[in-house]
This record gives sequence, structure tokens and C-alpha cells, in this order.
Amino acid sequence: MSATSTADRPAPPRSRSSQRAGRSRIGPLFIAPYVLFLVAIFAYPVGLAVYMSFHDYFFAAPGAIVDRPFTGLDNYAEALQDSAVLQSFGNVAIFLVINVPLTVALALVLATALNAAIPFRTFFRVSYYVPYITASVAVVGVWLFLFNGAGLINNLLGPLAPAPSWFVNSTLAMPLIAIYVSWKQLGFFVLLYLAALQNVPKELYEAASIDGAGRLRQFMSVTVPGVRPATFLVTLLATITGANLFTEPYLLTGGGGPNGASASPVLVMYQEGIQQGNAGYAAAIGIILIVSVLVLAGVQRLVLGRK
Amino acid sequence: MASAAVEAPSTAPAEESEEHRTPPAARPERSWVRLVLLAVGAFAFLFPFYYMIIGSLQRDPEPGPGGAFPNPANITLDNYESINSSISLLRSLVNSGVFTGGVLLGTLVFGLLAGYALAVLEWRGRGAVFASLLLVQIIPFQLLMIPLYVMIVRSYGLADSYLGMIVPFAINSVAVLIFRQFFLALPRDLFEAARIDGASELQILWRIAIPLAKPAILTAVILTFIGPWNEFLWPFLVTKEADLQPLAVSLANYISNLAGRAANPFGAILAGACVLAAPAVAVFLAFQRHFISSDLGSGVKG
Amino acid sequence: MKRKALSTLAVITLGVALSACGGDSGTSPDEAATVTGPIDIWYSNNPEEVAWGEAMVEAWNAENPDAEVSGQEIPAGTSSEEVITAAITAGNAPCLIYNTAPAAVPQFQKQGGLVNLSDFPDGAEYIETRTGDRSAQYQSTDGGYYQMPWKTNPSMIFYNKDVFTAAGLDAENPPLATYDEFLATSQTLVDSGGVQAAIWPAASSEFFQAWFDFYPLFIAASGGQQLVEDGESQFNNEAGQQVADFWAQLYERGLTPNENYEGDAFADQAAAMSIVGPWAIKVYADAVNWGVVPVPTPDGAAPEEVSTFSDEKSIGLFSACENRGTAWEFLKFTTSEDADGQLLELTGQMPMRDDLTTTYADYFAANPDYEVFADQASRTVEVPNVPNSIEIWQTFRDAYSQAVIFGDADVASTLDDTAEEVNTLATDD
Repeated sequence: MSATSTADRPAPPRSRSSQRAGRSRIGPLFIAPYVLFLVAIFAYPVGLAVYMSFHDYFFAAPGAIVDRPFTGLDNYAEALQDSAVLQSFGNVAIFLVINVPLTVALALVLATALNAAIPFRTFFRVSYYVPYITASVAVVGVWLFLFNGAGLINNLLGPLAPAPSWFVNSTLAMPLIAIYVSWKQLGFFVLLYLAALQNVPKELYEAASIDGAGRLRQFMSVTVPGVRPATFLVTLLATITGANLFTEPYLLTGGGGPNGASASPVLVMYQEGIQQGNAGYAAAIGIILIVSVLVLAGVQRLVLGRK
Repeated sequence: MASAAVEAPSTAPAEESEEHRTPPAARPERSWVRLVLLAVGAFAFLFPFYYMIIGSLQRDPEPGPGGAFPNPANITLDNYESINSSISLLRSLVNSGVFTGGVLLGTLVFGLLAGYALAVLEWRGRGAVFASLLLVQIIPFQLLMIPLYVMIVRSYGLADSYLGMIVPFAINSVAVLIFRQFFLALPRDLFEAARIDGASELQILWRIAIPLAKPAILTAVILTFIGPWNEFLWPFLVTKEADLQPLAVSLANYISNLAGRAANPFGAILAGACVLAAPAVAVFLAFQRHFISSDLGSGVKG
Repeated sequence: MKRKALSTLAVITLGVALSACGGDSGTSPDEAATVTGPIDIWYSNNPEEVAWGEAMVEAWNAENPDAEVSGQEIPAGTSSEEVITAAITAGNAPCLIYNTAPAAVPQFQKQGGLVNLSDFPDGAEYIETRTGDRSAQYQSTDGGYYQMPWKTNPSMIFYNKDVFTAAGLDAENPPLATYDEFLATSQTLVDSGGVQAAIWPAASSEFFQAWFDFYPLFIAASGGQQLVEDGESQFNNEAGQQVADFWAQLYERGLTPNENYEGDAFADQAAAMSIVGPWAIKVYADAVNWGVVPVPTPDGAAPEEVSTFSDEKSIGLFSACENRGTAWEFLKFTTSEDADGQLLELTGQMPMRDDLTTTYADYFAANPDYEVFADQASRTVEVPNVPNSIEIWQTFRDAYSQAVIFGDADVASTLDDTAEEVNTLATDD
């Protein structure tokens, strides 16, 4: 049941530390509770989701006699031809292209700026963190007030205000959601980078400055490479957050409007699976989403994860 | 910028640990740039929160831009009083505390062990477990929700219990990922040295890895805290008894039923959000100074 | 990494195939129909309905100590679908839910979650006697009643008399009967009434939003047709076209904004009119000097001939219920003449009962505001009870949003295309 279930496979080649740490028995022991948790909590639902995606499945009462025929890849084929599904995947692509670089760049710059003896340090740290901890329902309300047609932002912009207004503008709705999510999540990523910056050896900065590198050069040649594992983590987590986007289109744009321009795959999944009772179809969308993210994470690992 | 340089040096009260990092050639006017940058950012981040607090204190809603400026005649605590009289705040806070505390405990105990095993120890199947860890991040909760509910409620019989609320969140996988990532960044020599001294892996984890990864652990604690603290749907599904419902659920109920009838519905919603956010801000304030540590340098040297 | 992830998935799936086998069977429906004992019920969570629900439970329990009822609140809003679907699947749904949306009934029925009330010896008769001809709208395609029609909030137009007066309009007899009148009045209101919008229904894409803009007007314009009848879409005809064009004009001329209002536009006097049910009387009593008229029709039909959307909520008896005998008795107890009278008194919502105005003549004499709604309540039309009901509404809403709210597509061809999609959905079981 635990980690030993894969023990029949040859272990992948390991880095140099493998000989030193040895194949201690303690590893499986340490991981066992977590593996047990994964199996207990995720195995049944995930397995069921895979099963569902190959059937015309819907949730039914225990003991009810229902017909849920095997449909093979029909759900997948249908999902890949459904314009609403394709649009939602396209929307997430727009989201990721804006959100991930913005998050990485802003979080690293802010963390670097905060990682020093500056006045009001506590105040600054708390301010960046506040949106992250505040429940979505409240922050969404505030953003709606700021960005609705008669809101503060349009008042400030005057004649430059976009028409139609932000959240009902099919070009601007998704980018604005991407910016909203960057803003909401940034505090956490700043913390992650702050933690990572503690591990960058100070000697490297000293060496760089002796070589005559300015602040910008130091940032580019010491900080950026020094926090690379954290950057991989930030990129991965931001991608996952983006792929699981649900609350924001649900609340900010009233169910993915205008005309589905801000619908996300999870929103479509929710509508199909929970509201409309097409659980098998929704599961297929979910599996396609998971596979896409896995591929994306693999690419990111190739680019950022290597030493 | 040039004029600022004259007065800048005195404004940087450098702590001892920071001095290592500040390169000798650093130009002091940069700290002004830094400060302005941070202040602009802080404004952008705090403004909605400020708006939220002001809004929660308004007697009549002011949807226009005027709402950003407090009008003394329109300020009231009515919105908070109305929450206090409709839900049992203390009871909800205790429930939230138990729920969040259980998740934190599970994540810290089992998550640290898992993170250490994934980062430092060698064992067969490590890659597969790591892959599963990534996999479960990616799975949208909406896909799992109903099967999970059926399992927790039917198979395990945990409806209307704290355990039923906690179990699906018991070990936060993102926290495990963070632990792994930061343990991975620690110098291997530290662990080798300790092993040569005859320390067990548990001792190494407790005495070396955890103290060194303190900022990462705190980050993970914050992350883990926020999840159950703000979680609405799951505890709501699992608990139908009002006595067991955490604050986020009570407040959501309040918002969806009663706020609409309040004199200022939007104010009532914002007041609810402020009540929910306050303890989280307090927790962060208590922990925030630990986010920067200089332990690593001394750890490596000593 | 992908390979590993897949192999992990395979291991996990194997575990599931084993754990998924242990299903158990429910109680046989015939045995269950007479069993008595304690039951659980859920009611909606607004303060008025909670008060009514608590009063009902207390009255019942005082007389039936052997078969006590315990009541709990569930949210009325967006999360009720998750709650009920999850409860059905887990087999822990309560016996009765006093907030079952007719649009969701086909789905709950398909899931095996609902008990057919016609299976009780007096089931169909009880419903038909209480609700009269309208009960046919609550029959499922197999002829059974899987819901008890309970209470309705017939949709009418509420208007703000002060705004009408300010705009120089006759506040006592507002010109709102025909579409032309309604449009001209709307223009006047926005031009000189000091409001942002004439009428401001939600512009968002949730499936149910069509019930509060297109559908009431369509029912009125078509003389009481449902969106789908006998598996055929009814909206791609002259009536549907006229209603869609009417709303499209309101949006195009900026008399109705295509963005949601944050808060209550009518209460905040951002809009001069609103489509509401009798619940609105209590809500707006202090805030707005209101008047009420039927929804407009293309040529201004006489008010006593205008039908509208019922916005009805039903009571569902769920299959997880073991003590169905008690549940059925309690259901009848809470829909008796007395109980309905209390509901009317406490909530202002109209029980789905024939001869409402004569049965509760005293109440309406004392509360004349409600009488016009009570009269309207006798001419209501429900959402169609067809397979894939919610998917049909979502499909319709998405198309309507594009063509009417945002004006990005031709209205006539959109209605035709959508009608075909809906036909497929309605006949595909």
C-alpha cells in the first residue's frame, strides 16, 4: 500500500549523494504517513474520475438502478470539439501568459527589496500579505467596486475608460482576472522568495561587489540564479493556481462572462458536472486539464528545474 | 536622486546580520528608490483592504469613488453588531481553531517527515511519490468533491465531526513541496557531518534541517493556515450542525441570508470579511519577524 | 516525470476498483412508504422561512412524540446544488427539502434521489386537489410527481413611484403595458428621472438568470407557453423574437446596463424598475415608494390575461428517507390550509393553492398589497420539466447573453440555432 508498491521497479539513477545517504529503511518510514494520506484521500476520487470519464456517468443515489454505459473516448472527443471547453483552455493560456511572469518578476523584486534593513519593514511585509489572507468574497467585492462601469478606476480614467467596461469587455476581462490573481497571491510568493533569499550565501554578494558589480548586476548574477529552485516552485504553483482558476470567473465576471471570455476549464467542469449532471463529461475535461498541466510542469522543470 | 544621497545613510538602521549582505560599494540613494517602490506597491496592496474596512463601517453604502473617504456622519459599528448578534462568534472561532489547528498539526508532523524523506533520503519509489505529490496539486477540487464527500461521510462515517473536516486537508501537499524544495537547497555537507557524528535521521531533521529551514517552514505554516481558515465549501458540506461550523461557514451563511436584509448589505459583507481576516492578520503579525533569519550563515560556519 | 505520474495513477486506480465494489442497496420503496419514525428536513435559510419552518416542526413534534422532526437550514444560493447532489450520492439526504427548484427535479430524479409522490395512495390526488390545473406543470415525463408544488413568487414589475414622478410620468398609472410604452417610459426615466438604468436585471451568465429577464416576458407574450413543450423549443417564434428584441433594445440604448450592479439597484435607486415577486414587499417596504404592474406584453394585453413566470419552489421527498410514512404525513401537515396560511402570513410568498384569494380573504383584506400578486399567482408558468433541464437553461442563457445582452450576434438566427440545440437536449434522455 505504501511506497513499497513501486519497489519492483529499478530505482532511477541518483545524484552523487546516493552513495552517501544510502538506501536507508528510514525513508519509506518517513514518507509512509503521507503516502497513506494520498492513497486514502485521493486514490478513490481520482480513480473514480478516470473511470467516470470513460462512461456516460452521473452521480446517483446508493441503490438506485441507473444506466451508465461505457462510452470509451467519447467524452474526450466531445470535449476536444466543444467550443466552450476550447475557449476556456484558451482563456487559461491567456491567464498564464500574463499571470506567471508577472508573479515571478514582481515577487522576486519585492522580496529583494524587502530583504534588507529598511524603515517600516513590518508594515510593508504585512501590506503585501493582506490580500493573500483575505477571503475572496470580500476582495472580489472591492475589485468590482473599483473596476465596474461607474467605479473608481473608470472615474479616474475619465475619457480613457475602456468601453465596454473592464469585466464585461471580452478582451480585457481575462487579463484583468490574471492581474487580480497575481495581486491576490503575490504576498505568498514574496514570502517564498524571502525564505529562499535567506539561503543565498552572502559571500556571493561580497565577491560580486568586489568584482565591481552594481546592484542590478548582483541581482541578475547572484540573486536570480541563487533562488532558482524557488523560482521553479513559484512558477509551478502559479501555473497550478491558474489551471485551477474557478472562484474568480465565478464571482468577478458572473460565471465566466462576457460570452465565456473569462470562463475557465474548472468553471466549465463545475457547470457540466455539478450543475448539469454530466459528471462523466466533466471528469474528461478534468483529466485533459490535469494532463495539460503535467506536460506544462514537465516543460517548466526542463527549463528551470535543472541545476 | 543625487540630493537624496546626502541624507540617505542615516535612514538605514542596519541590523547586524544585514551588514554582511550590504556590499561595501552600495550606493545609499538606492534605498530611497527601494522605499518609494515599496510604498507604491504597499498602496496598491492595501487600498482594497482599506476600502473594505471603510466600507464595513458605513451606515449607508457609497458605491461611488466618494466611498473611499470616510464620512464621519456615515460611520457606524452597526454592521459588526449585526454579525455579533446573528452568529455565535466565539463558538465559530473555536471551531475554526480546531479545524485549522488539526490541519497545521498534521502538516507539520507528517509533512516535514515527508519533505525530508523526499529531499534528503534515498529510497525506492521516491520519484513516484514526488510525481504523485505534483499530480495531486493539479487535480481540481471540483473533480474530487462529491466522491470525496461520499467516501468521508459514507465509508468513514465522519459527517458532522472535526475529523471529517480535517481529514481531506490533513497534510497540505504544497507545504510538503515547499519543505522538500528548501531541504533540497540546504548544503549536503551539514547532513553528512551529522551522520558521521552518529546522529539519526530524526535527530538531523529536528536539530539541523528544521532550524535552518525556519523561514520556509513559517511560509508553509502561513500557507497551510490560510487554506482551512478561509475554506467554505468542504466544512459546509460535512457539517450541517451550526454548532460545529467554522467561522468562514457561519459568515458565508450570514452573508447569503442575513446581510441582504441589513441596512447596508455591502457593509455587512465587508464587516464579515474583516472579522474573518483579523485573526489571520494577527497570526501573521506574530510570526512575520521570523521570516528572515541569519541562522544559515552561522549554521554553515559553526 | 510523466511516465511516473501515469504509473502512479495506474497503481492508485487499481486500489479504487477494489474499494468501489462495496455498494449496498437501499430500502425498497413499497415497504418504506408506510414506515414511521423520526425524520430530518431542510428548509431555506432566509429569516422568514426559518421562522415558519421552526413553527411547523414545533407544532408537529408536540403532537407526534414518536415521530419527531428535526429541521436544519440550507443555503438558498449557489451552493445548494453541491449540497443536494452530494447528499443524494452519499445517501444521507434528509427526508424533505423545502427549497427544491423545479429546474433541478429532472436531474435529482435521474439520479434516483427523489421519491415519486404518486406512489403514495393519496399522493397524486392530494397534489391535484391542492394546486389544481397548474399541478400538471410539475408532473415528470413518466407522469409521476417527484415534487410537491409548494409556493410561488409570481414575477411582476415593481417600480419606484418617486422616480416616475421626478421624471414627469404618471406614477399611479404608469405607461408600461406595451413594449413601445415600456421603452419610451424607460428612456424618459433615464433621461430625467435621475436613475442610471430603467430596469437592471443581472447581466451575468448563470443558468437561472433567464428566469428574471427573458422568461417572464416570454410567458406573457406567448400567452403562457413554456420554454420547451413536448420536447420542442417554443421560443424561436414571433413571441420569442419580440421579447428578445425588446431586451436587446433596452441594452443597446443603455437603458439596461450589461454589467451587474453591485448591491440592489432598485433599493439604491440606481434603477427605476425591477422584476420581483411578493417577497419584495417586505424587503422594499421602508426603502422605496413602490407600485406594481404586470410584466409588459408586445401589444399591451389586459392585466387579468397576463401570465408570468412562477419562480416556484417545491418540496422534494428524497429516496434516502427511511421513515417515508412520517415524511408524507409531515408534508401534508405543512401544506394544509392552516400551514399555508401561516406561510403567507410570515413570508408573503404565495402557497401553490387554488383559490388563494378566497381561502385567505381575511389576510388579503388586511394586506391589500399582496392581493395583486395573489391574483397573478393563479396565472403562472413553470420551467419545463424535461431531461437536461439545467443544461438547456445554460445553453439558452449563453446564447441570449451573446445576442441580446452584448449584441454580438443576430437575434433571429441565434434563437433558431439555440432552439435546435435545445431540441436535441430535451429529447436525449
